[in-house]
Formats: sequence, C-alpha cells, structure tokens
Amino acid sequence: MIAVLAAAGLAAAACAAEQSGGTASGAASGVTGTSIKIGGVLTKTSASGYSTKDAEIGAKARFERANAAGGVHGRKIEFVGAEDDTQDAAKGDAAAKKLVQKDGVFALVPVHAPNFGGAAFLEQQGVPWFGWATGPQWCGTTTGFGYNGCLAPKAGAGSQTWWGRQMADLLGGAQGKKVWVQTSDSSGSKYGGKTISQSFEAAGFTLVGVDSSLPAAAPPPDWLPHVNKIMATKPDVVVSVIAGTKFNAGLYAGLKKAGYQGVLTDATSYDANILKDPAQAQAFEGVIAAPMFEPFESTAPEIEQLRKDVEAVAPGTQLTQHLAIGYWAADIFLKVADQAGKDLTREKFLSVANGTFSYENAGFGRIAYPKDHDEPNGCGALVKISGGAFQVAKNMKCFDNVPLKP
Amino acid sequence: MIGYILSGLVTGAIFAVLGSGLTLSYAATGVFNFAHGAIGFLTALVYYELYAGLGLPRWIAALVAAGLFAPLVGLALHRAMFRGLAGAGETAQIVGTIGLTIALPALGLFLVELALPLGLAPIDVSVQPRGVGPAPPALFDLGIVTLDSDQLITFGFAVLAAAGLWAFMRHTPYGLRMRACVDRRGLAGLRGIDPDSTSALAWMLSCLLAGLAGVLALPIVGLDAHAYTVLLFASATAAVFGRLRSIPWTFAAGLGLGVVTNLVAGYGSFLQEITGLRSAVPVILLFLGLLLLNRSRERVAGSSAEDTPPPDYRADLPPWRRRLPWLAGLALLLGFTFTQSDYYVGIVAQGLVLALIFCSFVVVTGIGGMVNLAQASFAAMAALTCGWAFSAGLPFIVAIVLGVLAATAVGMLVALPALRLGGRILTLATLALALLADQVLFQIDAFSNGTIGWTLPAINLGLGTTTSPQVRVVLLLVLIGLVGLLVRNLERSASGRAILAVRSAPAAATTSGLSAARTKFLLFALASAIAGLGGVLYAISKGATTATDLPAFAGFVWLAVVVLQGVRRIGGAVVGGLIAAVFPELLSAWGVSAHVGLILFGAGGMILAKHPDGVLAQLAEQRYRRRTKATAGSTTADTTAGATVDPLSAAPGVPLRRVGETVYGGARREASGDQPSPLFELQGVVAARAEATVLRGVDLEVHAGEVVALLGANGAGKSTTCAVAAGDVLLTEGRVLLDGTDVTTWQPHRRARAGILLAPEGRGVFPALTVEENLRTWLPDPAPVFDRLPLLATRRAVPAGALSGGEQQLLTLAPALVRPPKVLIADEPSLGLAPRVVEQVFQLFTELRDKGVALLLVEEKATEALAIADRVAFMRLGRITWTGSRSEVDGERLAAAYLGVS
Repeated sequence: MIAVLAAAGLAAAACAAEQSGGTASGAASGVTGTSIKIGGVLTKTSASGYSTKDAEIGAKARFERANAAGGVHGRKIEFVGAEDDTQDAAKGDAAAKKLVQKDGVFALVPVHAPNFGGAAFLEQQGVPWFGWATGPQWCGTTTGFGYNGCLAPKAGAGSQTWWGRQMADLLGGAQGKKVWVQTSDSSGSKYGGKTISQSFEAAGFTLVGVDSSLPAAAPPPDWLPHVNKIMATKPDVVVSVIAGTKFNAGLYAGLKKAGYQGVLTDATSYDANILKDPAQAQAFEGVIAAPMFEPFESTAPEIEQLRKDVEAVAPGTQLTQHLAIGYWAADIFLKVADQAGKDLTREKFLSVANGTFSYENAGFGRIAYPKDHDEPNGCGALVKISGGAFQVAKNMKCFDNVPLKP
Repeated sequence: MIGYILSGLVTGAIFAVLGSGLTLSYAATGVFNFAHGAIGFLTALVYYELYAGLGLPRWIAALVAAGLFAPLVGLALHRAMFRGLAGAGETAQIVGTIGLTIALPALGLFLVELALPLGLAPIDVSVQPRGVGPAPPALFDLGIVTLDSDQLITFGFAVLAAAGLWAFMRHTPYGLRMRACVDRRGLAGLRGIDPDSTSALAWMLSCLLAGLAGVLALPIVGLDAHAYTVLLFASATAAVFGRLRSIPWTFAAGLGLGVVTNLVAGYGSFLQEITGLRSAVPVILLFLGLLLLNRSRERVAGSSAEDTPPPDYRADLPPWRRRLPWLAGLALLLGFTFTQSDYYVGIVAQGLVLALIFCSFVVVTGIGGMVNLAQASFAAMAALTCGWAFSAGLPFIVAIVLGVLAATAVGMLVALPALRLGGRILTLATLALALLADQVLFQIDAFSNGTIGWTLPAINLGLGTTTSPQVRVVLLLVLIGLVGLLVRNLERSASGRAILAVRSAPAAATTSGLSAARTKFLLFALASAIAGLGGVLYAISKGATTATDLPAFAGFVWLAVVVLQGVRRIGGAVVGGLIAAVFPELLSAWGVSAHVGLILFGAGGMILAKHPDGVLAQLAEQRYRRRTKATAGSTTADTTAGATVDPLSAAPGVPLRRVGETVYGGARREASGDQPSPLFELQGVVAARAEATVLRGVDLEVHAGEVVALLGANGAGKSTTCAVAAGDVLLTEGRVLLDGTDVTTWQPHRRARAGILLAPEGRGVFPALTVEENLRTWLPDPAPVFDRLPLLATRRAVPAGALSGGEQQLLTLAPALVRPPKVLIADEPSLGLAPRVVEQVFQLFTELRDKGVALLLVEEKATEALAIADRVAFMRLGRITWTGSRSEVDGERLAAAYLGVS
C-alpha cells in the first residue's frame, strides 16, 4: 500500500516530467533562433499581504514593446510569467530551479522578492537575474543585476546619499534640522536605518536618534511609548524604515495624535492603494515618499512611454512601484541582450554585462555594472501626498555615494 | 509612566480576552488550541467581508462575526475535531490544532477568492480594515494620555467580556456545569453533567472570545494571519500565568503583559544592542512562567497524556513481506533518480533532506513521547554554526561536525527544563525556545552574518559532489538508512527498553530504578543531532544558509507532516519528507491554488482526531482487517475466536467494546412472579482497568428500599464494580440493568440523570466550587439541604475543598436526601472519617432506604455496613463469592470471605 502510494506520487511527477521534457532538453539555455525564454520570481502572495505581483505586468509591458519592434536581434522574448515564492526562501529556491531546470529559461526577469532564496543556485549555474536588489543575496554576485544597483552594500562599499540630499533641497537646506530614523527590531531594518542615517548626515542633517524598538513581526498594539521617544527629541524630519503600510499608518497616526508638525518620509508610501481609502489617505497626508524611479506623475517622455506600454498589454492597470520595478528591470535586461549581439549565450551575456556596461535612462537614473553589483546607483525622487493625490516633489536625480561606515 | 500603564492596559485587554478563551477551552476540555489566533483571524475576515464586501453597518458586522459566526465555528470544530482530539493523546492534539492554524486562514482566504464575483472585497495589500468605531478614530484627551475611540472601544468590550464571562460562569447553570467539569471532569459525569455538551459550550465560548479579540485587534494588526499567530503567543503567555486554569488570573496577566510590553518599549533602550530582545519579552516571560509556575502540574483531567502505541498489524507477516514495500519503493526511487532530469531528482533530494530532519521526530516524539516544536531551530542552529565555522577558516568536515555538535548542545539545553516539565508544558517550553532562537539568537549578526548568511561549498565524495542531485539522493538514502538502524537498535537495546518504560509509565519506571531524566536527556540529544545533520545537509544542498531559511514555524508544519504519516517509524518520516517536497510541486503543476494545499493539510488534522497514529498505521490496519476477514471467512464464522494472533483484541489501547443485548439475548432470567424484580442489576460483568481484567463475571442485584453491603479485601474489585455501575468503566462482557432497562451502553451522565448516583471513593465533591454550588450541580434549589443539615448552611460560601473530611462526605450525600436517586452506590463512605461522623453518614443511609432508594454500600471494613445491611455480598478476585441475607453472616463466614478460605 505504501509502495503504491509512493509509486503514485513518483509516477505523477514523472508524467509532469514527460510533458515538459521536450522543451527542457531542446533549449538548454533558453535561446533558439527565434526566441529568448524568460521567467521571473515574485512574492505574489504572502502571509503579511505584501505582494509584488504587479512587477509581472511591468516586465510584460516592456517585453511586448521589444517584441513589437522586432525583438532582440530578431529573437522574440518568450515571457513565461513569474513564479510566486510566497516570501519563503525555500520556495524561491525551488522556483528558480523550476524555471532553469524544468522550464529552461535563459534568465530570470523580474526577480522581486524580499526573501529570495535562489541566489546561490543561480550564481552557481551562471544564470542572469534582474530585479530589485533589496537584499544582500544580490550583492557581490556576478549574475544578480539590481535595476538600481545593490541596495545592501557591505561596509566600505558605496552607500546612497540621494534621500538626504533630495530632502535637503526640498526643505531649503539641512542646516540645524534634526532627523529621527525609526526602524524595527530586525537585522534587515536596523541595517536600513544605518544607511539612511548616513544619507541624511551626509546631506548635513543632525541625527537625533536611530531607534529600533518596534517589533518586527507585527505592528505594536500600542504606539504610545514609541511615539513618546520620538516627540522627546523634537525632530524636524522623521524617516520611517519599517516595511509595510500598516506599520507606517500606525506610526504616522500616533505622531499626529501626539501633535507632531514636522516632515514624515519613507520609501514605501508611493502606493496608489494608500489613497483608495479616504481615512487612510488622510493619515498619510503630507507624507513624503521616496521612490527609486521617476514618478508616474512626471512629464518625462520615458514615463509617457511606460504608460503607453502598460496600456497596450493591460488596459486600465493602476501604475505601482512594483510595476515600475518590473518594467525597468526588463528594460535593462533588453539593453544588455542587445549589446551582447547575435550569438547569445549566458556566458556572452554575462561578459558584456560585467564588462563595462553603462546605461542612463530618466526612468531610473543610471546603472553601471560591475560597479553596481556592490553599491546602489545613488538615484531617487521625492513624491508628496497632498490632498489625496501624489505630487512630484523632486524629480529623479543621482548623487555620489559615500563609503558605508562599519 | 502612568500614561504607559493606562495605554498598556488597553493593549493588554486584547491579550486578556484572547488568553481567557485559551484558558477556558484548555481547562474545560484539555486541548490546548494553537488555532485560537487563527479563529480570531477568521472572525476578523468575516467581519471585514461583511462590512467592506456586503456593505453591512460595521457594528452589525462585528456582532454577526463575533457573536454568531465565531461560536458556530467553535461548535463545528468541536463536532468535527476537538471531541475526537480530547481522547487522542497529546501529539495528535498539538498537531491537529497546528494543522488548523494553517488551514483555517487559508480556507477563509480561499473562500473569499472563490466568492469574489458575489461582491466580496478582495484581500490584498491595499486592505486597510477599520474597527467598529469612527474612522479616522476620534481622540480623547484624558490629561495624562490621549486615547482614541478604537482604544476605548477595545477596552470597553474587554471589560464587558470579562464581566459577562464572570456572570456566566458564576450565575448560570451552564457556567456551573462548566466549572464542575473543569474541577473534576469524571465526577461531573457522575452528577449527570454531560461532558460532551459542556465541551461544546466551552468551545463556543472560547471561540466567541477569540472572535471578539480578533475583531478588536483588526484595526491594529490588519488582516494578517501571521500577526494573529503572534498575538496568540502573547496570549499564551497570559494563559500560562493563569496556570492554564484560572480565567481571572489569565485576564489579569494579559492586562499586565500589555503594561510590561509598553514599559519595555518605553524604557528599555539599554536592550537595544541585542536585536530582537525587546520584542521577545512575551516569549521570555512565557518561558519563565512555564518553568516557575507550572513545574509539577498534574495531568489535566479528561486528556490522555500517554500515547499508547498502535498494535503491530503486520506481526503475522514474514519479515521479507514486511520489508517488501520499502524495498520496492527504494528500487523505484533509485530508478527514478538515474533516469529523470535534474529538476525532478532535485525535488526528491530535497524531500530526502526533509526526511532526514523528520527522523529526529521519530526519536523524540515517536520513541520518547515528547513533542518538540523547536526542531527547525536545531536544524538552523547546526546550519548556521557550520557556515560560521567554515567561513572562519576551519576545514569543511570540522565545520560540519561542529554544526551537528552545536545542535546537540542546544538539544541538551532544551532537555534540561524537559526533565522537570512534562506533556504540554514541555511542548510550550520548546515553542518558547524556538521563538527565542528565531527572534534573538539568530538575529545576532556575528553568528548569522546578518541577512546575508553564509555560503557553503559542496561535499566531494570522490565519485561526485553534492551539487549533483543524484549524488545527494544516494548520500541521503545511506544516512537515513543509518539513522533507521540506530533507531532500531535503540528500540531493542536495554536503554531503548528503559526509554519505552519511561514513556508508558513514568512513575512505575522511576520506582523500578530507571532514570527518566537520563533517558529523556539522551533522546533529546540524539534527536537534535539528527536534526542538526539534516540542517547542515539542507544548507549544503542549497549552497548557502541564512537565519530565515528554517523559521520556527516550519518546525510546526514538519511535525504535522510527520505525525500525519506516522511518527513511530522511520518510514513515516521518509514518506512525510517526500510528500512535503513533492506535494507543492504537484499542486503547482496542476495549477491548483496554494490555499488548497494548506486546507488539505489542515484536513489531515481532522483525520488525526480519528486515527491518531497516522496514515501508515491506518493503512496497515485496513490491510490487516481485509486479511483477517479473508482467513476468518474460510476457517470459522467467529472472527475474534478464530484468529490466533489478533492485535485488535489482544493489543492494549484499543477501546473495549460495550457488548449489547445480543450476547445474552435479553432472556437470561425472567423475574419470577413471587419475587419483585431488582431495581438495579449487574449481570455477568467482565471489565478491565488499564488493560488488566479486574472483574471476571460479577452478578449482583439490589432491590428498592434495600441496603446491600458489598464487602471484600483490598483489590477484590469493589471500586471497579462501582465504576462499572456508574458507567465510568466500560464492560467487555455482561450488562447493567436499571429497573429492567438495559443501560449498559449509557454514558455516566445519562445514567446519573436516570437515577444511578455514585458517591465515589474519596470525596464526591468539587473542591473548587463552594458548598452551595456543589449542591446546585444536583439540585435546582439547595435550601432544603440547609434546613436538614444546618452545619452546611453556615459554610455555604466556603469552597468544598476547605471542608473537613466528614463535612465533605455529608456534602456528597446530602443532595440525595432532597432529590433521592433510584440507586445510590457509595464507595467506601466511611473511609478516613471519625466514628462520630460515620454514625451521621450511616444515619443518612437509613433515611434514604426508608425513602425507597436501593443502596449499594461498598466497604472494606465490615462493621458499620453490616449494621444496616439487609443483604451482604462478598467479593474476591473479581467475583462474588457469596450472597445472602444479613442474618446468615457470622464471624466464620466473614473470615472466610476476607482470607479466601472456602
């Protein structure tokens, strides 16, 4: 009986193998005379509700435009869509293996999953992967390409200053202005607090506190002690380095309840969903969000193009941060593939990308590999939430990085 | 400071409400519900959909969700699962409710997904749920602290819930019955309280509280199943401080926890250096609470902590036939490995890595009978240590050994409290440690290298490296084989037998000189070494390891997967590992929603409630039944007598079946005309206790208005006879008649309601209930008792446990005076009482006899009983040796009866 059970399971797996066996062996590296096979890994669903699924539409929109224009050196992009890692490192690893070994893709675009677990496998197999390099698993690799560089540089490598400098420009100078950086109690968030504190200090702000007392797993049921600590230092700017709208909504509501009058800024609130609910839009009123791409409200022609591309594949789609990340990751991949020339192999692709690749675009600033395998590209914009709508406060601009203190 | 305390009380209110529900269900049913938070989440989800999807006003939505939906969920779960789990043993209970924790939110989200066309609101990151109050919340400045309307509503409802719960428990008959069940479950049945419907009520109430807390917490934590699990851990801390028994203490502890959390957040900046320490405060308190408050707690009534192993259904098969399925499976697996593509072999290799880790459950849970929820942390510990040592420049093989040793060391550390704790307390302690490891230990950057983690090379085995999945499969099969041999030797060796002895009867093992502590220690160390080895291989086959690769929660899921297959054999671990790796792959290949996988997984918990030993044992049992049916059909018509080896009847742990009227045909003896038929009668009763036959054919009858004294030496079977009469012990043969009606299959509470009242040995009182409440369990109005026994009237508000022995015995029997039963069975009523009190007690018996009650007095000391008895029965070695009228009893006969001289 047990044997039957085991056999049934294995037979089912074997069946699946036969179905896809043809494609896997026929195009081992994902490139044929007429096509390049691409797939992605996203956190489409997760226990916390965090989802980057829009990146799939973004990448698809960009690939469709390339295909409409005749493809890359005559090869159409065959985009098989994105796997869901459910924010589970093991699932991300399994998804990467499935795409490479079973589906036989050439590269992984977009990879946009905060807890992505397939990095070691992809690096070992020499498979390029493009996306948002928020975690250290991206950095220092030869195959992981963050669309705006590596956002988790090691000590000594370059760390961004754009957020502080853009903010200083917006507020008319940083002299004498006090900044409080709020993180949650996890290594990742504490690390973010360090780089962002440095960014504001580099811009001339006075750092009055970096606090990591917020629980990481779920928002604190009571914000009072956290808010009191912030209010005691009378900051002019509060930077929130905590992931998730729920956390930020709680923090901002608490601060406003306590009478805070200064500036609130974070990296995640450039999200149309926040404005859907009037009560919530009110809680975020005045918040300055810091996206790492040119805002959709911009008049830049690249953004106009992005709108058109998205409209062509999915009419009526709400433009979101994740969509933009998928779009720009695909854009950079296409640029490298184009430069790699007619005889496309992974080796060729990687040697071009890691040679002296450099690319500027108003959409995301600039990118240069291999330098940006180790540090961020140093570009960002500011968007203000005002009257229930987003307004561009500062357009995309790039600044020099400074070495990250240990 | 006062501001923090006030506002902390509001937070604590949520912990308090959730924790009270947890304590209530645990105390009343013996099942610790890990899914308590998940029920809160589900209720919150229903609330959200009712107002956001269907457009109901929010307060109506809250009322329907918490007041109607949540209790119905409780009732449904009681029917489908908890009822079965209560008797299923600890492992099955824990796994069953953990399965629910995973399945319930998935089920909710899946149904919402399906019902989106009906107008429900989609659940995604944009969801920003609102509380019952105004949005945005109105602010109230209380001088010291500003609270918003949501906070005030939360606190208000918590106070309301506390007051309501108090009133319900103290002032309604339902509450009284529930408290009686919590106090002495067995006795409650004897008093006509149906434990099953009381359990159902407890689950409904508990889920109502979970639902209330879920709706109240919604605007704070959002629609996030994970956040509700975090809330559950905090409320578990509160429940532990209430000793898992006292609802008021749980409530107070919940409030206190809110305050402490606030104070630590406000003043604990000095803890900042250690990442995670401050958020881990509830977990640390949980661990301390378990160590300090719950050390020597007895087993909770109504739950069986011992998991008796299932009979070996394959004992009649030759060895080659027993091994055949596994050899065939192995051959198939190897064939698969060398013919299929890397991708599929990789999945099998992943499954085998999990299988190796799962083998550690076989050691600690399957053999040791302890449930360890920290197994994933052991694996992570080993993987991280190995990575750390390798990057520090040590040779790879040394790093691997260090990793395994580190896991072993942590296992021993965990075993230390395990020596003192038992059962669920141990399980909760391992849970606390697993969470601590996740939140504090693995957050130390020097150890886990931050979020980067460590990279690991492949092992070169000469013939190939572990980058090849084929090599991994072979390596893992060899390792699992070795672990299998180890487990087999462990079970057969002297130490193995010692372990089994400790497991099945800890007290007996200790008295026979076996060290429970040492065997537990050994098992924990061994299991963590195996888990550590698995963890290292997990990391090596992935090529890297980070602190988040093996989260604590994975350990819970693993346990569930293994137990579902069968935790007593390595085979269960292997099948479990393969299923854990292959199943998600199949689901995604067939394009089935990931929710479905989780739901199926939870459904496994319900299977477990019926078949606690897992799928493999169940399959073996089914095959066995088919086999015996076939042989029995060919040899003899009598299935049980025909089979020579019959584990179903010979094996321990299989419930003894009540034998209905068919055996005796109901025509054993017609009452003859001149003699009135007995009011109460035992016919040919055979019964066993703890697998040893105690009664070997007892016939006994008692007539109305008659006192029968049942006398006999210690161990004759007198108390078992009482228990059989009351329905506490099941019969293997024979029947019990009340007034001519066959009541053999009736539950104790039903017999009690029909008029069979047992005053059990010791005292038949609920010690935690007051005198008046004790009386109310049998009488609607206790006033007449107080008139008759003024002594009790003066002590009506005193807990019965504080009364003297004599007072307790009077309290036991007094209700019978006011509402006389048909039959009163008194087991050793004079035991340990002063002569004066004994006199009083027997005065009561005389009074009852005069009211026409049939009395069965069971005594070891004959004197008093003989004084009022009409007839006497002597009992010896499970049989009635002599029955006759009082006048025929003389000293000689007495001596013969007690000394066994015939």
